Amino acid sequence: MTVGLGMMAGCYGVGALGALLAPLSGRLALRVGHLAGLGGAVAGIGVALSVLGGAPGMVLRQPLPDLFPFARMSLAVDGLSAFFLLVVSLVAVAATIYGPAYLQAHAPDAGATRAGVQVVSLNLFLGGMALLCCAGDALTFLLAWEGMTLASYVLVVSEDEDGTNAQAGLLYMVMAHGGTALLFVAFLTLTERAGAFDFDALRAAAAGLDPAGRNTLFFLVLLGFGTKAGVVPLHVWLPRAHPAAPSHVSALMSGVMLKVAIYGLLRFAFDLLAPVAAPLPVGWGWTVLVAGTVSAVLGVLYALQQHDLKRLLAFHSVENIGIILMGAGLAMILWRREAGGGVLATVALTAALLHTVNHAAFKGLLFLAAGSVLCRTHVRNMEELGGLARRMPWTAGLFLLGAVAISALPPLNGFVSEWLTFQALLGAASRSHGPAGLGIVFAAAMLALTGGLAAACFVKAFGVTFLGRPRSAHAEHAREAPVSMILGMVWLGALCVFLGVAPGYAMRFLDRPTASLLHGPGASAVVTAHGPLVLATGLTGAGTEATTISMTAISVLLVVLIALAWLLRRGLGHAPRRCAPTWTCGMSPSARFDYTATAFAKPLRMVFAALYRPRRSVIVESAGTPYVVRRIRYAGEVVDLAETQIYRRVEVGVTRLAQSIRRRSSGRIHVYIGFVLGTLFVALLFFGVRR
Amino acid sequence: MAFLVLLGPLVTGAIQKLKARLQSRTGASVLQPYRDLTKLLRKGTVEADTASGLFRMIPVLVLAATVAATALVPVVRAGSPTFPLGDALLLLGLLALARFLMAVGALDAGGAFGGMGASREMTIAPLVEPVLMMVVFSAALAAGTTELGTLAAHRGSSWLFAWDAADFLGFAAMIVLLPAETGRIPVDNPDTHLELTMLHEGMLLEHSGPGLACMVLASHTRQIVTLGLVSSLFFPVGLAVGAGATALLFGVTAFVVKVALLATYLALVESSYAKLRLFRVPQYLGVGFVCALTALALRIL
Repeated sequence: MTVGLGMMAGCYGVGALGALLAPLSGRLALRVGHLAGLGGAVAGIGVALSVLGGAPGMVLRQPLPDLFPFARMSLAVDGLSAFFLLVVSLVAVAATIYGPAYLQAHAPDAGATRAGVQVVSLNLFLGGMALLCCAGDALTFLLAWEGMTLASYVLVVSEDEDGTNAQAGLLYMVMAHGGTALLFVAFLTLTERAGAFDFDALRAAAAGLDPAGRNTLFFLVLLGFGTKAGVVPLHVWLPRAHPAAPSHVSALMSGVMLKVAIYGLLRFAFDLLAPVAAPLPVGWGWTVLVAGTVSAVLGVLYALQQHDLKRLLAFHSVENIGIILMGAGLAMILWRREAGGGVLATVALTAALLHTVNHAAFKGLLFLAAGSVLCRTHVRNMEELGGLARRMPWTAGLFLLGAVAISALPPLNGFVSEWLTFQALLGAASRSHGPAGLGIVFAAAMLALTGGLAAACFVKAFGVTFLGRPRSAHAEHAREAPVSMILGMVWLGALCVFLGVAPGYAMRFLDRPTASLLHGPGASAVVTAHGPLVLATGLTGAGTEATTISMTAISVLLVVLIALAWLLRRGLGHAPRRCAPTWTCGMSPSARFDYTATAFAKPLRMVFAALYRPRRSVIVESAGTPYVVRRIRYAGEVVDLAETQIYRRVEVGVTRLAQSIRRRSSGRIHVYIGFVLGTLFVALLFFGVRR
Repeated sequence: MAFLVLLGPLVTGAIQKLKARLQSRTGASVLQPYRDLTKLLRKGTVEADTASGLFRMIPVLVLAATVAATALVPVVRAGSPTFPLGDALLLLGLLALARFLMAVGALDAGGAFGGMGASREMTIAPLVEPVLMMVVFSAALAAGTTELGTLAAHRGSSWLFAWDAADFLGFAAMIVLLPAETGRIPVDNPDTHLELTMLHEGMLLEHSGPGLACMVLASHTRQIVTLGLVSSLFFPVGLAVGAGATALLFGVTAFVVKVALLATYLALVESSYAKLRLFRVPQYLGVGFVCALTALALRIL
């Protein structure tokens, strides 16, 4: 199995070196680089499955070469690591199959340099994420974290036509490093106490922390990982940076990179920082639950008003990270607090982990489908698309599949994990009294609202992009995407169907992570106690019965009913079928009669006006008299409250501070030396006296 | 399942008849919906020339999803099922799936009416669904499960006397939601395609012939599923735990009576109120939300 680790690293390394072929031929470099990446991803799946299917408590350890004199670096793959490695690798398979054809179709004359850069950074990005999941010590973790951030930054800015991507990349860089700085503080505090870098030593060091220190460290890592995961209000970089990257990289960033932050959070909360044999502090779980709920609702609400296909998907990542955090937060609240060694925490954590892999599958699929649209039309604004279902049937069908899955509709995978989250929330609420219970039920109601709004959003996204008439020449002349791109999407689509129709079979891969984090029964012992075809909440006792559903049975029922309905649809008689133009009240039909995305989202914009603060301006240009209208211009926008209320104010404050510093900077060198000396003096006085 | 699907149009027919009588008209026969359906099934189809292949599949998928939901409504039997199929959340999920597909189909023909109907439906639906779920939650919290049969068994046969304040409030929320979920006044007007008033009907506009028949049958079915959900959540009387011919007969009779009562309520509301403006609907649903939240609070605190 350590061979698998070696193969994985080797493949990613070879892939990165594939860039050396770029001077010969950009196409060759792309092919070789992505093929090697595919090899790495497959090796990663192998490693992950062998650990997840192996003996309980197995940890795969592999020392790394000593690069630094002060620290031993090593890999340690336990259940949690293997699960996240699996998530990374599953999406990486699709992205590497999809990648070369996409890059060539999207920008055929991009040049060899860009191809080389993209190949290097894609492989470093994938390798960084895989390494991070497997890291067994703080130094490897931080190096991989930084490598992942830098490589994804390069990919974000790699396709820069007009400078907006560079701006998005800069924002990403600043936010990401702000978060990384907090992680550094947390890690270095622990390593200083432990005197070593490996996680076992850190765990031992954390055991001796006082509650205040433990809380401080937790909230530092929560902020650090929250920035990467895109938790509201730290999400502002996400809807800018994710759409800017090439689409298969967007799929990786949204589908996987955010999950790596979830991995870090779970690793810290349940493993490194957890008190020995005591429940986690109350505040942790509640903070995570509240942050998750807020992210879920606000994420989907802002997604509703986006008309840029990829940006819309990026906002949905905020929403889904929120849903994952709801499950994780609930597990933190319940862990070691349930009476009689209950299993509710396991259900909650299972829901969170299952939603992690589900979101990776359907968000990856949606980004890839959006990428096919983008590479064939070169348009991201869905108002200029339309009618693509006739022109790109595979892409349309797969996007619809992803849309049904992300809207948490049965029988696909999004429903399964949300169902588990609902059951965990309800179970927790029925066992707790007072405000806590009400808060949990309220979170459940917000989750229901999120699901409904996501469905509305994807009716809009799918309908306006793929249905009706084409609204521009780009959409009119679109063709179906190349076969390899469709293959990449089919892989993720099949995953969505499998995880939706037969989730019980996937449950055993959640056994190791849940058991190793919670030291309790594994996921499958709880959720699939009645056999793999039936999902159960496992809440028996205290006068309650387990709720059981069978996704497999309902899917079979649906298929049978579809066949019957199809017979009915053919009709009783043999009356003819004919085609006719849509009735448009007597005017000749044109694409302008199609409902636009702006119009579709308008009622919800009015209902939630307090959150959106919509601004609109209508300028009517008339010719001489007001009765002859020559042109009407409409402009409307919706603000992101976090941006206007927090970031703008910070920006104003920082600018003001900078201005006041500027007034004191005279440009004379001896004044600056004076400042430095003064600072040194004060610092010596302060710290020297304390010591 | 087949029973509910076959009974569905009758409920619509009865509501229409009652409405007509309340408005001093004779009205069409209660069997009129069946006649409409058979006529539609015999007719030919006209499809929009811009529509994709998906458009033809939409009625099939919508009908299948709605009919699948009927399998989850306990009609005559309470208690946990012999083979677990689904719970209240899955039922609501299937209805949501049908609605999602219907709205998608409405955008396919490329007319403004379909889009308008879809947009309005998908505005109201996300506001109705959480409240509906909260009502289910308030019943589920008492029983500890979201399985409808078990919920009904838990409530037992002494139903109304066992109601507590939370049940009354939950039922009040349901009363508010029922017209919204079945697409009736004051939220929607099922009798018109007029762009000022329609929600649901606008989405059916481009369907014709057997396709339209599927969509209309799905609407009837959806209505009876919703009524069945309410009656199993709040009035599980007649739901037998055991088997046997008398229990079965009693269960069916009780179910028909319950559905008839709820249908009378719908007809009365529809005859005595005007349709609300679209942007008043959230306030109307807000009443339901407050009731449901209070019900939950009473259940937990």
